[in-house]
Amino acid sequence: MTTTTAVAPTVAFPDPGPAPLRLIRSELIKIRSTNVWWLFGIGVVLFTALALVVWTLIGNSQIDTAAAAGNDVFTPSQGTDAAQIAAERQQFAVEHDLSRTLISVAAQIYTSGQFFGLMFVMLIGTVLITNEFFHQTATTTFLATPHRTAVILSKLATAMLAAAFFWIFTTVLSLATGAIFLSAKGYGTQLDQWPVLRAILFNGLAYALWGVLGVGLGVLIRSQIGAVLVGSISYVAGTFLIQPIVFLIYTFLIKKTWVLTAMVAWPAIASGIMISPEDAYPYAPDWWVGGLVLVGYSVLFGAIGTLITRRRDIS
Amino acid sequence: MSDGQIVVSGLTKQFKKVRAVDNLSFTVEPGRVTGFLGPNGAGKTTTLRMLLNLVTPTGGTGTIGGRRYADLSQPLRTVGAVLEASSAHKGRTGRNHLRMICAAAGFPNRRADEVLDLVGLTPAAKRKFKGYSLGMRQRLGIAAAMLGDPRVLILDEPANGLDPEGIRWMRGLLRTLADEGRTILVSSHLLSEMELLADDVVIIAAGKLVKQGPVTEVVDGMAHVARVRVQTPQANELVKALADTVPGTTVSRADDGTLTVIGTEAATVGRTALKAGVELHELTTERPDLEDVFLDLTAGKAAIR
Repeated sequence: MTTTTAVAPTVAFPDPGPAPLRLIRSELIKIRSTNVWWLFGIGVVLFTALALVVWTLIGNSQIDTAAAAGNDVFTPSQGTDAAQIAAERQQFAVEHDLSRTLISVAAQIYTSGQFFGLMFVMLIGTVLITNEFFHQTATTTFLATPHRTAVILSKLATAMLAAAFFWIFTTVLSLATGAIFLSAKGYGTQLDQWPVLRAILFNGLAYALWGVLGVGLGVLIRSQIGAVLVGSISYVAGTFLIQPIVFLIYTFLIKKTWVLTAMVAWPAIASGIMISPEDAYPYAPDWWVGGLVLVGYSVLFGAIGTLITRRRDIS
Repeated sequence: MSDGQIVVSGLTKQFKKVRAVDNLSFTVEPGRVTGFLGPNGAGKTTTLRMLLNLVTPTGGTGTIGGRRYADLSQPLRTVGAVLEASSAHKGRTGRNHLRMICAAAGFPNRRADEVLDLVGLTPAAKRKFKGYSLGMRQRLGIAAAMLGDPRVLILDEPANGLDPEGIRWMRGLLRTLADEGRTILVSSHLLSEMELLADDVVIIAAGKLVKQGPVTEVVDGMAHVARVRVQTPQANELVKALADTVPGTTVSRADDGTLTVIGTEAATVGRTALKAGVELHELTTERPDLEDVFLDLTAGKAAIR
């Protein structure tokens, strides 16, 4: 009976290096070795280019209006609704104040493509998880690293890295376009204005946090198709539906302005509030409230995702 | 203390309604190929997955070299596992699949090429996984398991999808690895294949251990399922004599007149014939094979649960 048979070492292995870096490297190889990254990359570039065209055109007319506006006086339309008057007053102020218009237009152009960019980053985070189950690679992944928390954390970090990549890429594109456009109109780049810088920087934060949300979504909905559908539909449709719905509730059910403020609870609206130089909508909370809401969701989704993955049987 | 010993102790897994594995205990020794046998649904895969920390046991433990899988500091250096043939991203090349594991485990990229060479997949290294045949997928799985040059190998139905040449290749590989002193645990339902390959067997049914030991001992210990072949011109007399004096035997008669006696030994048959004055032309014990033993041991336990 052989109880202690020595196995001759046939292979020499170097020091494996720190585990977090190994895991992130492995996740990056997973992204790069499939079609996902360039398909999503093309999507982001296309939507950013489209957004740049749209926002430059809109910005162009907004600047022209503000520059041409004389000493108009604000007069609300017939409605007596406080929220409506406030919205009109804000719009009037922005339209008639050239410096505010420039800041608003610059911030809008420099964060072009955010709407779909955030969605793509979220989907990358989702696919990082659902691919493991769709292609049954979860077994391989957890055999290499039985510490599941470490695996999820590395996926969160990888999603943020991918987000940073997309943010830098789209921002460089937008900065170049915006700077050329503004100087062609005869104005400065507006990059010395804090609200503009804030919009650009927090756009980056929004990208990172949506990557985290995507990972959480992937853990909660393991089905690849299910998660992608739920993610993109609730992002696109939800964002367009939630504003009219909340305004209907405000108009017909609860005539309190906190109803409008509470809209910040919807993640996509929270990230809009976070980067908007002006109020994103009447009675919107301050920008940092949007940031906190988004951070809150990310922490919640990340924690739930980690807990579920730790307990789940992989079969 | 031996480094590569696998110890399964009281392992239990209760799924919602089914007790897939029920207080299962066995050991697997290094330097030997151990066949892990059981009917479909016996709990083989669940047991292996619990051993590898993929499925959480309801009770009991499984250790490799005295440690649980999750406690191994570099698991792939200790254990290589081949669990399912289709576990790679369809759009990823075989080489990138291995490199992604290398990255996670901290192995140099050259290991990916070395194991591809070991399993004969080098020509298909840059082909995408979806273009691999089932046999190539199995080989890629074995390659992945060998990345860390582990001293313990765990394989779940590795012969599935391999052609005869592939099966022979795998048999040779596992034999060589066991002879190097590694621990090899192979689950299978291909009994003839296991008889050729395994030194030891662990047989389970309905989640419970049925038999464990060296193949030869297990088979020899089951002599009562041996068949005794008899040629005689007085077949009817012998059948009657056996029925009268040796209860529990069954006799079947082939077209050419050969009798096959089950339930007793050749010596008893000979003695019975002598007493009855029956002339014998041939009296041979046909050693039971693993399949006979397996079917006898798991009879009635293979039902769908």
